[in-house]
Amino acid sequence: MSQAYASVGWNRQKKLYDLVMLASVSVYLALFVGIGAIVHPNATVETLLIRGFGTGALLMLHVILSIGPLCRLAPRLLPLLYNRRHFGVAMFLMALAHGAFSLVQFHALGDLNPLVSVLVSNTRYDSLSNFPFQPLGLIALLILFLMAATSHDFWLANLTAPVWKRLHMLVYVAYGLIVAHVVLGVLQAETNRLLVMILGTGMVVVLGLHLIAGWRERKLDGTADLPISANGFVDVCGVEDIEANCAKVVTLTGERVAVFKYDGKVSALSNVCQHQNGPLGEGRIIDGCVTCPWHGYQYLPDSGASPPPFAEKVPTFNVKVVNGRVLIDPKPNAPGTRIEPAKI
Amino acid sequence: MPNNHEFYVGYLPKAPSGIAALAKRSVIGLVLLTMAVALVLVFGQQRFAVSFFEFGKVQEFQGVVREWPIPLLISGSTGMALVAEGKHGASSLVAGLEGHSVKLSGTLIHRDGSEMIEVIEGSVQFLGKADREVSTIEDLGTHSLAGEIVDSKCYLGVMNPGHTKPHRECASLCIRGGIPPMFVVRDKSNRRVNLWLLSEKGEPVNQQVLDFVSEPLEITGQVSRISDQLYFRAAPATYKRLP
Repeated sequence: MSQAYASVGWNRQKKLYDLVMLASVSVYLALFVGIGAIVHPNATVETLLIRGFGTGALLMLHVILSIGPLCRLAPRLLPLLYNRRHFGVAMFLMALAHGAFSLVQFHALGDLNPLVSVLVSNTRYDSLSNFPFQPLGLIALLILFLMAATSHDFWLANLTAPVWKRLHMLVYVAYGLIVAHVVLGVLQAETNRLLVMILGTGMVVVLGLHLIAGWRERKLDGTADLPISANGFVDVCGVEDIEANCAKVVTLTGERVAVFKYDGKVSALSNVCQHQNGPLGEGRIIDGCVTCPWHGYQYLPDSGASPPPFAEKVPTFNVKVVNGRVLIDPKPNAPGTRIEPAKI
Repeated sequence: MPNNHEFYVGYLPKAPSGIAALAKRSVIGLVLLTMAVALVLVFGQQRFAVSFFEFGKVQEFQGVVREWPIPLLISGSTGMALVAEGKHGASSLVAGLEGHSVKLSGTLIHRDGSEMIEVIEGSVQFLGKADREVSTIEDLGTHSLAGEIVDSKCYLGVMNPGHTKPHRECASLCIRGGIPPMFVVRDKSNRRVNLWLLSEKGEPVNQQVLDFVSEPLEITGQVSRISDQLYFRAAPATYKRLP
């Protein structure tokens, strides 16, 4: 949680995560370059490195993009999400190595500035098969740089979660550009259909997981927008419908509200964690606090405020329990406003 | 059976046992997938050409300079194209030495029997006027040939692969810098034949071909041979792009 900033708030899980990730990246590069040098003795080391870094970064991007929807579909995979930002930064560094080696190999020692050369050396914008693929990679790399540079919680807090989230949604633009970079670049020269099939499978997995997860979320929102009664409150569920120390997520006037039951009381607060917009309603009450399933950010259930000294706050909702039914006023209170919990 | 009441909090020292076991299995699966993808990509790549850039192995060469239109060093009946370091041609290194014997230092580049020397700047030593005429031209007639324009330096070995679409930007930059463009075609036996590409008047054509490199083309022009080098003279305006 973000009371003060350290470069990385290390803990055991993060160290384990990074260790496994870096070991996997090393194994990939060792296999690609090492076995590549044996299988293709005429290939130069630069070519193998360029291809190894590039394919490695693309593989990592597929895994990174799949983790989000996978965790929506199977929350028990959340350990994969916990330190995904380090995964993203590592992927950017792989892509940067690919770009840097390519820039030196293909554009250095000429009559033009290498970056200018990337943009002007192929002018066939009028042809699909000859379309300049390198500027696409360069733009994608710039987006990935922007994301890696703002990946720290400092930027998340200062840009605010919605802006930060929108900025980081650019990863999908980068993904599209990278796929185009590969399809219009190396796949124009390689003849093995297996390579096309691998990329196609990756795209189907990423797109399919997003569509399935999105469809499920949409179904949840579409059926759960409950009618408002005459007194302004909405009957959202029975008390027994909520598991102890857990929440039921309901949609009121288009917004998701997490209704928590704990210690014989019910409180309602926004479902959106202030950290990275994680689903608070899928969290638990731990040590008396609502705990976000994504990164463990905590909020007091009655006020929606993080326990001191932390400063995060989410909106709360007026709540009543009448005849075993939970009633919520859909009008949110200002973030951090304490609302007396409804006693069961 | 999974315990659905387990809840993972990343900053706590230990993950719940069921979630930890699933994470472990997932990670092992991902690592195996990573290794499999690496191997498929390694074996799925096209074979690399048998071409060589003897980087770090500087040799001395001796012969007669042919300065125009493609800088060559003629040694016996063999011609070796000359280029400078980086993405630059060697015209300035051999300027004024047409028909003269020289000694120079450089690095050998070779592929499919074609040889090229990357000349070290300042290494060209004038030895004297050559005794005999080195420019005997053999006219091989007009031909329509399908092939690809490459930058000869990368194609002959400095890069591998040094042709086709992924190499287009580099080829364009090399040719812009004076590396002679080469038209690579296949003969009836499907063997690659390399021809130096020139204008219809037999002049260097570098700046006019930049928009055509690394694309399948059909070019109609005059083929000729000087020593063991083939030349292809054609007007760039008549190049036809092939689908």
